[in-house]
Amino acid sequence: MNLPATGRSLGLLVCLQCHATVRALQVPHPRCPRCRAHLFQRKRHSLALTAALLLCAAILYVPANLLPVMYTDTIFDEERDTIMSGVLVLLHSGSWPIAVLVFIASIVVPLLKIVSLSVVLFSAWRRSPRYRTQRSELFRMVEFIGRWSMLDVYAISLLVALVQIRSLAFVAVGWGALAFAAVVVLTQFAARTFDERLLWEAPP
Amino acid sequence: MPVIVCPSCDLAHRAGPERASERTRCARCQASLQRPENGSIDTAIALSIAALVLFLLSNAYPLVAIETNGSTRSATLIGAALGFYRQDHAGLAALVFITTVVGPFLQIAGLLYLLIPLRRKRQAPGQNAVFRLLALVRPWTFIEVFMLGAVVALVRVAAYARVLPGVALWSCALLMLTLAALTSRTSPGQFWRWVEGSEA
Repeated sequence: MNLPATGRSLGLLVCLQCHATVRALQVPHPRCPRCRAHLFQRKRHSLALTAALLLCAAILYVPANLLPVMYTDTIFDEERDTIMSGVLVLLHSGSWPIAVLVFIASIVVPLLKIVSLSVVLFSAWRRSPRYRTQRSELFRMVEFIGRWSMLDVYAISLLVALVQIRSLAFVAVGWGALAFAAVVVLTQFAARTFDERLLWEAPP
Repeated sequence: MPVIVCPSCDLAHRAGPERASERTRCARCQASLQRPENGSIDTAIALSIAALVLFLLSNAYPLVAIETNGSTRSATLIGAALGFYRQDHAGLAALVFITTVVGPFLQIAGLLYLLIPLRRKRQAPGQNAVFRLLALVRPWTFIEVFMLGAVVALVRVAAYARVLPGVALWSCALLMLTLAALTSRTSPGQFWRWVEGSEA
């Protein structure tokens, strides 16, 4: 089989910071001649790091959805909101477009991210030769939409800052919010430690 | 013949005769290899200055105020992070502070620091370190997500109290648009074209 010419086969490195293509030199810690960033053939321990971060994110996804993210004390009653009950509150208050938005950003996107990164990670590990372009595009899409799941953390931060009129209403942060934010941050890091080029290695 | 290696799949491409005005994609994984030249360095500097002014406004004035039974309470951008901190969630406070205040500020200030000398065909001291810092900060600037989060929070509060939008809410919305325009005009490829232009 005729393999396509790659940076590796030609002895070339590409700088991931400034995208300069550089001839690989036999020195211990090569740096990019243009922007002085570290150069490497592939990100080190990419699969292990991504897998570890992804596993932590998947575990924390459970408390992130089960624990309350926010407690609301008013003179009438005390409410505890999870991510999902927050969506239902929005739905019942008549603002369904916002409810759908929060549902997608806070529940669908994190789950989609964990599942897609697992698929991509598994196929990189197996060096599966099929659907490589689609997997590459899936990975880039996940990187692009991942940030939007921070939506609820910001909404809670503003509610906590605003609703502090002690005699009338009081909003307190729940531990679910921390677990949720950790899921978002861990999956962002998991996407960054993953080296896309591993999806294109020659099959074993 | 010069060779370009795709940073997303490692495929080697011959650098063709395409000019800087064309967008090229990797033949194998479809990642974009070269974005078209987009505006002059003057436009980028003007956008950075506009972003800096909007950033200062966004931090100086309250985002929103709520009014219930005659008492009002307002929150600022930094106040959103402080709310978490006061409730002993320093980690969440740091996350909100970094993604809404530190990130945008470093991005705007860093670009101004790099671009103003480049316009006069000079290079700022420590240019490469600042460029790498920008690449590190860029993925952690979440102003547009924060804006949407603010809308969600306001919809929820509106059920209990009267909501009064503040100056910073509008300046933050404009900052979001300005930063988007600025980011698309200062891609790493474009930046290094300006640097190479200053050396010529």
